[in-house]
Amino acid sequence: MSGISVKDLYKTYKGSAEPTLKGLTFQFGKGKIAGLLGPNGAGKTTTISILCGIVRGDSGEVIIHDLKQQAAHREEIKHIIGIVPQQIALYPQLSAVENLTYFGNLYGFKGKPLQQKIMHYLELFGLEKSAHKEIHKYSGGMKRRANIIAAILHNPKLLVLDEPTAGVDVQSRSMILQFLRDYNSQGASILYTSHLLEEAQSLCEEVVIMDAGKMIVQGNPQTLIHQHPDCNNLEDVFLHFTGNALRD
Amino acid sequence: MLRLLATIRKEWQLLLRDKTGIILLFIMPVVLITVMALIQDAPFKDYQDIRFDILTVDNDHGRLGRSVKEGLASGGQFNIIDSLDGQPVTAERAKQLVNEGKYKISIIIPAGATAAIVSNANRIVNDITHRMGMSVSLPVKKVPDSLNVTIYFDPAAKKAFKGAIHQSVDNFLTQLETDMLISRIKQQLQRKDSTVTATDTLAIRLQAVGLKEQSTGTAKQLDVISNSVQHNVPAWSIFAMFFIVIPIAGNMIREREDGSLLRMKLIPGSYLAILAGKMLFFVGVCVLQFYLMMLVGIYVLPLLDLPQLVMGQHPGATLLVAGGIGLAATAYGILIGTVFKTPNQALNFGAISIVILSAIGGIWIPLEVMPARMQLLGHLSPLSWGLDAINDIYLRNGDVGFVWKNVLRLILTGLAMLAIAGWVEKRRMN
Ligand SMILES: Nc1ncnc2c1ncn2[C@@H]1O[C@H](COP(=O)(O)OP(=O)(O)OP(=O)(O)O)[C@@H](O)[C@H]1O
Ligand SMILES: [Mg+2]
Repeated sequence: MSGISVKDLYKTYKGSAEPTLKGLTFQFGKGKIAGLLGPNGAGKTTTISILCGIVRGDSGEVIIHDLKQQAAHREEIKHIIGIVPQQIALYPQLSAVENLTYFGNLYGFKGKPLQQKIMHYLELFGLEKSAHKEIHKYSGGMKRRANIIAAILHNPKLLVLDEPTAGVDVQSRSMILQFLRDYNSQGASILYTSHLLEEAQSLCEEVVIMDAGKMIVQGNPQTLIHQHPDCNNLEDVFLHFTGNALRD
Repeated sequence: MLRLLATIRKEWQLLLRDKTGIILLFIMPVVLITVMALIQDAPFKDYQDIRFDILTVDNDHGRLGRSVKEGLASGGQFNIIDSLDGQPVTAERAKQLVNEGKYKISIIIPAGATAAIVSNANRIVNDITHRMGMSVSLPVKKVPDSLNVTIYFDPAAKKAFKGAIHQSVDNFLTQLETDMLISRIKQQLQRKDSTVTATDTLAIRLQAVGLKEQSTGTAKQLDVISNSVQHNVPAWSIFAMFFIVIPIAGNMIREREDGSLLRMKLIPGSYLAILAGKMLFFVGVCVLQFYLMMLVGIYVLPLLDLPQLVMGQHPGATLLVAGGIGLAATAYGILIGTVFKTPNQALNFGAISIVILSAIGGIWIPLEVMPARMQLLGHLSPLSWGLDAINDIYLRNGDVGFVWKNVLRLILTGLAMLAIAGWVEKRRMN
């Protein structure tokens, strides 16, 4: 019973000579907090986009909670999966409540139950005072938090977050991480990407390190550290596998 | 349904916060139609309302002179000028002034013209009575054979204009000649049969068949002429409605850039409902724009000494046309918003293409006054379909049966543009 299974996935963007994904393969179990790690341009965002169905892979197989990602299951998978994109996917000119009401409506929720849910999450994420402030007036950390709420209105069983803690302060980050642990403890699977390896090390039960469109290594962070005696932490493991060369 | 309604509300919230968009959609068009109606007021009047000065030189000082002057003056189109600086105009001076272009027409009635007509009538009556065995002889003068009323035209005068003047002066001549003849005949008949009184003489009428101008509009009579307001208000309203492509394209590109489009695609359910909501909202905005502009035409422009806009008698047909134009404009905005990647590209292409489509579509100047080949091209512009349909309602008093073809064209074009946008979007995903 895999939460996410990716097998031999290939993707070349139109107009680019080099494939972005070259036979990517990995698996995460259900109910886990998993990390997808890799240098800039490794293909993390591309992988996530294929997982949720907004970008099509050229070949290979993707299975989400036992459903194959293909036309027949695309809508069903959207119900299961909640995506927090790398960019803030909200209307900057609208307030948090207006944004969340709109996206909640699109999920089919409405009226008082929706408003209660929105207020609950705004409080949980410390945004209740700014509930009616336009998003473009939010700080970076507030935007990231609002961006997460928009992805969990429908209680997804699988929450996928693309760099949810990029550019946020320590307080926001620890709040977000605590939320992920809590959400996971209610039975949801979580897949997240980050360049902060210390954070990934403490949060994830399972990590995949990928580079240049391929899986390099997969395993439990502690196990990986132990397997490599010269490594003291996940960052050492990461550098061990990906080297020091700068990426485009 | 929830998706559709939610989208309409969201678009409303977005528009409320888009001050530039509101100005572009509602304030600019009002300024535009007001300015255009004002500056085109004079040229339009040139075609219809302007009165021409006619220099008349009456050397006859008789009935013909009076009749021509009164006849021309009564139409309301001409000002009769027979003296300049307190001096009666002479034939020489009249000729010179017309030649210099200071006046467009001059009419010179020669001395003895009335006498010649009277004399001619007398001769005919003499002849008739003589043949009837009566021996009356009315005075007949010897007049020169070629006595002419002379007309001078400005060398730049148009042919049709010349023809019209020629025709009316000719009519006055004929009418006077006939009048004289008939009155002479009546006199003679009276003299022969003294029981017949002047009032109940044979009702000899001049015309058995009359000429009457009637409007071609169906149903009730409309007395609307195409003036600056009747042309400019609908024309520039349509232009302004099409300018909705700028806010729509901006809206769509922003959604793509700020990731809210991505969010919508991550949510299960059809994107079509969202798009339909967006369309419905913007079509509504277009219709609102249209009626706002009509209100300006009816209530504001008259305050500026312009004629009042008349909207015809088929409000249902008008609404249908406004909706059709709104749909075509919105679909065009969605297409541009889909095809172009940056707001700047969309803005430039959108604005320039609308200006071109409006110019060839008869918004700036009516299609009828364009060369035939341009007219053919102009009829391909959706803006011309909209304007045609509005003119059908406003000027020809047409109803839905009159305008459905143009409305259908607008709707089909809109749907075609949406289909292209959908295809482009789909291709982009793969
Ligand atoms: N829409 C696209 N069209 C063409 N190339 C793309 C597109 N999106 C991504 N790429 C390319 O694919 C490669 C992988 O990009 P991707 O965004 O998946 O990497 P990433 O691992 O998420 O990087 P980062 O850590 O910087 O977010 C990069 O070289 C990028 O330039
Ligand atoms: Mg990325």
